[in-house]
Amino acid sequence: MISLRVRRRETAVAYTLLTPSLVGIGLFLVLPVFVVLWLSLRQWDLVSPSTFVGLRNYRDILSDPAVGNSFAVTALFTAMVIPVQTVLGLGVALLLNRRLPGSAFFRALYIVPWICAPLALGVVWKWMFDPTDGVLNAIIGHRITWLSSENLALPSVAAVSVWSQVGYVSLFFLAGLSAVPGHLYEAARIDGASAVRTFWHITLPLLRPTTFFILVTGIISSFQVFDTVYAMTSGGPAGHTDVIASHIYQEAFVDFRLGRAAALAVALLVVLVMVTVAQQLWFRRRITYELG
Amino acid sequence: MALAGALLLSAGAAACSPSSGGSSSNSAKGTTTVTFRLWDDQVAKAYRQSFAQFQKANPKIHVDVQVVPWANYFTKLTSDVGGGNPPDIFWTNTSNFGIYADNHQLLDVGTPLKDEQSGWQKSVTDLYTRNGTVWGVPQLWDSIALYYNKDLVKKAGVNPADLTWDPTGKNDTFLAAAKKLTKGSGAGAQYGFNASYDGQAIYWDFAGSNGGVWQKGDRFADADPKTEQAIQYVVNLINKEKVSPPAADTNTNGNKTLQLFTQGKIALFQSGPYNLQNIRQGAKFSWGIAPMLKGPAGRVGVIHGVSALASAKTPHKAATLKVMRWLGSAQGQQAIASGGYAFPGVKADQAAFVGYWKKQGQDVSPFVAAADGTTFPAPLGPKVQAGATAMDPILQQVFLGRTPVAKGLQQAQTAGNKAIAGG
Repeated sequence: MISLRVRRRETAVAYTLLTPSLVGIGLFLVLPVFVVLWLSLRQWDLVSPSTFVGLRNYRDILSDPAVGNSFAVTALFTAMVIPVQTVLGLGVALLLNRRLPGSAFFRALYIVPWICAPLALGVVWKWMFDPTDGVLNAIIGHRITWLSSENLALPSVAAVSVWSQVGYVSLFFLAGLSAVPGHLYEAARIDGASAVRTFWHITLPLLRPTTFFILVTGIISSFQVFDTVYAMTSGGPAGHTDVIASHIYQEAFVDFRLGRAAALAVALLVVLVMVTVAQQLWFRRRITYELG
Repeated sequence: MALAGALLLSAGAAACSPSSGGSSSNSAKGTTTVTFRLWDDQVAKAYRQSFAQFQKANPKIHVDVQVVPWANYFTKLTSDVGGGNPPDIFWTNTSNFGIYADNHQLLDVGTPLKDEQSGWQKSVTDLYTRNGTVWGVPQLWDSIALYYNKDLVKKAGVNPADLTWDPTGKNDTFLAAAKKLTKGSGAGAQYGFNASYDGQAIYWDFAGSNGGVWQKGDRFADADPKTEQAIQYVVNLINKEKVSPPAADTNTNGNKTLQLFTQGKIALFQSGPYNLQNIRQGAKFSWGIAPMLKGPAGRVGVIHGVSALASAKTPHKAATLKVMRWLGSAQGQQAIASGGYAFPGVKADQAAFVGYWKKQGQDVSPFVAAADGTTFPAPLGPKVQAGATAMDPILQQVFLGRTPVAKGLQQAQTAGNKAIAGG
């Protein structure tokens, strides 16, 4: 009886302490999701009264080639960004982990792009990419239309995205590396394992939880990339960088088709849930947690 | 999920951000604050002078002038109107005001300001009359003429006042002149003319001067043989003749050609009075204004007017109407005209504008002549903005030379009309 009462009191305390977070999550996460679901069944231009249209917005987006293009562009963008930023991030972490002189300085330096506002970075990069007066073309001495060429626009934006994320990714790998027990390396050294073998058979497997986290959050955030694209290309040329978030913005705040934009947001949510579940299944049996 | 939230949050944030949106009143000191929003930071200077004077006569009303840059102006304004927190008074253009009028978001200003109306530029009043009601007080208007760099033109021996273009090449004197004015390529290049993806200053004027159309009624009709011929001519100037900067530089940077002109890298710059102050402040060389280029159908330029509209949601209607009355008076627009900012919507002030520029050594009469001549209507209709954004990416490809003109215009017309029709 006593223990039950104590437990009940503990529960009450726990919920009291959780209330601020729960209110925040409810107000800014759960409620908006339901509003967007509701909005996706309506037609609304922000000014005229909204009307119920059933599933028409979903039918429209499914048959709209521009939406298909946006999902393809987003997938391509993710395919460009994720492998590069993960490998580079790991490389940077391995270098920083060697505690060479100045590594604290570089660790801070790599983080700078990540803490800067992506919109501001996008604007600055747009200047650097400018075909006529941009610093990039001035350095290479060739006129390359980075952001208005159909083939170069997406890789250019992806490169900026990678550049801004590498420091952040490396931070997580660095934390993961410091959690690898030193005695394993010692044992490997005694057994005469080469540095490469140690990396493949000890470091990499023990980093799996970190890698999983980096991949899941990385893929989700690259599916939602907006600011950099908005600042650099606004989705152009001819939709070649029209990632899904940019398309949602266009529908909602340029064309003022809020219903369609909401339906697209729901579609993105569904896709992201599927991607995340697939990743979970893939990694489930492969994650090795810290030994001992 | 986060994005779904972000979508909503940004709608909310745009609607309730207190620093730049909405109306506010300060009852503590007994003064009412009327908010006034526009997109032009140059003209905003004139308004601030004007309202300082207004406040002397009306110490209980304070007018807060807010500038929202053009690139986001209608995104923000529409969000604020939809969110129920619009500024008390705001500028709009003709493409965007219809939807507000149709949804009871505007105050009828024609009835209370009946006596002032005769003093306004009628063409602009007409643009803002819908279903028999006058919704806007004309503030300024723009027509199109040809700015030129005197040094470059003199060196090349070109007379900018007498240039004719002709897509058949028969009567064309312009292309040869533009070629003479073009030197080099790449970063240090000098270009003859500012052909670019700019409807108001360039391609609608070319279409009009060739006898083409852009709209029929509320629908787009740009896949018109005369329009096609005109756009082909413009695209050739960029990609074939190379007398204008590459579209890759100008398509998404509306200020690029202005910058190049003020840097002395473009010799002939077709544009509106909205760039007079920019050029005066930016150009280090002597310059002049000639009539816009003449086409096979004569000089047919875009005329556009900006009006001030009042929100039906304003919590202080009397003060707002008082400010609107001031905005429609010769005294209220005095600063805009005499400061040389724009052709004023009140006719009595026009002489002050022309006088200002005369003192600066500039004859602005080509703009007046263009407004009095045959003009080309800027796109109209309540959904025309959605149509235009659907056409943008297609037409930009046309200007880059990646989509053939005929095909692109047809695609743009289809996409534009679909966007107008769809919700």
